Amino acid sequence: MKTLYWFQGGGCGGDTYSLLSGENPDFLGLLHSLDISLLWHPSLSNISPGEHEALCQGILSGERPLDILVLEGSVICGPAGTGMFHTSDGHPRKERIYALASRAATVLAVGTCACFGGFGVDDVVESTGLQFLKKRRGGFLGPDFVAASGQPVINLAGCPCHHDVVAGALMAVAAGIPLELDKYQRPLEWYGTTVHQGCTRNEYHEYRVEESDFGEMGCLFFHMGRAGPLVPGPCNKSLWNQQSSKTRMGVPCFGCTDPEFPRPNPFFQTPNIEGIPLALPMGVNRAHYMVYKGMAAAAAPEHLRKRRSKV
Amino acid sequence: MVRGIKEINIPINRAEGDLEVNVEVEEGVVREAWSVGTLYRGFEAMMQGRGALDGLVMTPRVCGICSITHLNAAAEALDRIAGVTPPDNACRLRNLALMAETVQSDVRQSVLMFMADFANSGAYGEHSLAAEARARFQPLEGRLAVEVIRESKRLVQVIAIIGGQWPHTSFMVPGGVTAIPDVAKLLQSRIIVEGFRSWYESAILGCSIERWQEIQSLADLDAWLAESERHREATVGFFLRFCREAGLDRLGRGPNRYLSYGNLPLPEETAVQGSDGRLLPAGYAVATTVLPFDPQQISEDVSHSWYEQGGGPRHPYVGATKPYASGQSGRLYSWVKAPRYGGEVVETGPLAEKVVAGDPLFVSLVENGGPNVMVRQLARLVRPAALLAPMTRWLEETASHAGDSFYRSVSGIPDGSGAGLLQAARGALGHWVTVQDEKIVSYQIITPTAWNGSPRDEKGRRGAWEEALIGTPLPDVNNPVQAGHVIRSFDPCLVCAVHCLTRGGGGSGRRRPR
Repeated sequence: MKTLYWFQGGGCGGDTYSLLSGENPDFLGLLHSLDISLLWHPSLSNISPGEHEALCQGILSGERPLDILVLEGSVICGPAGTGMFHTSDGHPRKERIYALASRAATVLAVGTCACFGGFGVDDVVESTGLQFLKKRRGGFLGPDFVAASGQPVINLAGCPCHHDVVAGALMAVAAGIPLELDKYQRPLEWYGTTVHQGCTRNEYHEYRVEESDFGEMGCLFFHMGRAGPLVPGPCNKSLWNQQSSKTRMGVPCFGCTDPEFPRPNPFFQTPNIEGIPLALPMGVNRAHYMVYKGMAAAAAPEHLRKRRSKV
Repeated sequence: MVRGIKEINIPINRAEGDLEVNVEVEEGVVREAWSVGTLYRGFEAMMQGRGALDGLVMTPRVCGICSITHLNAAAEALDRIAGVTPPDNACRLRNLALMAETVQSDVRQSVLMFMADFANSGAYGEHSLAAEARARFQPLEGRLAVEVIRESKRLVQVIAIIGGQWPHTSFMVPGGVTAIPDVAKLLQSRIIVEGFRSWYESAILGCSIERWQEIQSLADLDAWLAESERHREATVGFFLRFCREAGLDRLGRGPNRYLSYGNLPLPEETAVQGSDGRLLPAGYAVATTVLPFDPQQISEDVSHSWYEQGGGPRHPYVGATKPYASGQSGRLYSWVKAPRYGGEVVETGPLAEKVVAGDPLFVSLVENGGPNVMVRQLARLVRPAALLAPMTRWLEETASHAGDSFYRSVSGIPDGSGAGLLQAARGALGHWVTVQDEKIVSYQIITPTAWNGSPRDEKGRRGAWEEALIGTPLPDVNNPVQAGHVIRSFDPCLVCAVHCLTRGGGGSGRRRPR
């Protein structure tokens, strides 16, 4: 049996609701099949405050083994490094996060806030991720932190993190299979391809048939602020709620798996020069891309130009 | 400390976000209460200077269980500024997503968060329904807990079909929605809603929605309960029997003043009936006397909150959110502000919605025995009965008008101010937005939990659930389940309340204002 403790930092609880949307297995089936005992989840547990404190003391003294620590939400360090913007019985929450992480065999950061700081990375709230502050390695636990299993924090990015990713990571951890990580410590299994892969608007993208207002049929990359070709994530590979993805319903990808999310410049707009976005798809040369897109637009077939191809 | 008075700090979980309540207990009864939001997230400050449309992406992230609600309020505020009325299909699709979110929240909160305490053996070992309560509601194992996780997850597929994913999509935009699902997907959604309805009728109500809606008074409710084993054994009947034996119909009175902003605008062409162009009317009720709603009566007071002081209560258009963590000093004790309506403390949520709408059953329950934990939670547990039929109808209407428009083009957001006020799962939610040169210059949010979980105001009046806690018996201060019932009957969402303001963080938990 493995034990799991779920801690909520500065966040919205969205990763929990995402996880509850998983299927085959669903959340309960997952715990059951993997023989994971959920010691505590702030939205689900019904033990009394006293029993909860005793549980925490047991973990902190080493008496009670903790196999998996999940952090959802950021570590809030403001104001001025005190952590007093987020307390528990008058004590900064960040102290408890540090103590639990020191005892856990595996530490999972679930959601972009826990991974990179997300909402609240500013000089007032001073949010940080567990082992990254945006793109900079270090974060709350420091660059050298490794959990008892020998692995650093595993970053399951996304706002919220996709249900299949959390489930898959728990399966791998329970089975003792190490996950290969990218430079931001996101598992390549889910963050090895862009959100663009599997997007049903790809044919429009290919021939540069562009959407310039909501509700049109076309690619959302050139004008509508879509970040799909720029960031990794599984949204168009594993569908959300077993049904769909934002791009399928005309909502641009906002790049929520990126360490810089939420970006400062306005959403729903693509900064561009002569219709070519300033930020190009991963690894692309600008001159080649401009020539390619110019020719592609000229070659666009009629069913795309007339926007007859459904997405 | 006065002899015989014990001060305790009670952390409340199974609320969205965390919350602590400091109470003074004398002879096993709560004499004083302070509700402490313990987190400041600074969302409103984050919005300043951002792009005009960014509320559509940022504010759903305020809350993981009611993210559609924030999206809807943000989109409505922008509709107002742009002076656009979304076409009928957009109106239906926005309503459908919001209703699906409300229904999943109602059943999840009722079973996984509220009734999980019925399985608390320490508190209810002696209750005659204890064993059955554990079999139904024990977290992760109870029969009903398992069913709710399965069924609510299916229902949110409807939101994903309409908006791409749940939680945290941004498919509502000023002027309408970004896409319309294929007809086959709309029909699939109807089947999902109907499947959910059959489960809800059989597992929760124990009768058809039509039979439930025949109940118009306390006497009708008792007659319904006596009528059949099925009525008594399904969740609503079991809940009523459990509450009455545990005395939850005598706990948690609260201010007995109610606020509902109303919601769910009716499309121009629809078979769904409502009043004043909406399914749910807006209003303010003092006991069961309903008065018209006037948004100018809303103000926010920070006299007991960790924000920069001075200036008295303010309307949200001129409100400010400047954190000032003073810790234990002085009278400040929460990151939540204190909204007031016409200067009064009010409660909001499904009970407020029912009272304001003149729902005969809930008017009768409030008039006979007053507001209390049981009635407040019952209003939430049965609210889906009023939403599921209009959902089916709007899905059918969208499918039969699938070729019609779902978006009216809005080119740029002009300078101006607008408010999105609506009734969310937890009650009255407002976004007040001012835009200049395509940038947000001010964004203030008042959430349902700010109304219900506010601290004291400048006149020293307690917030709604602080008030409701007074007189609550706490036989075991180490297992203060009764205080949890009172607060959870308001369905607290502290991640919301904080965004605007927050979970409080200064000082120690024993915070008796001096």
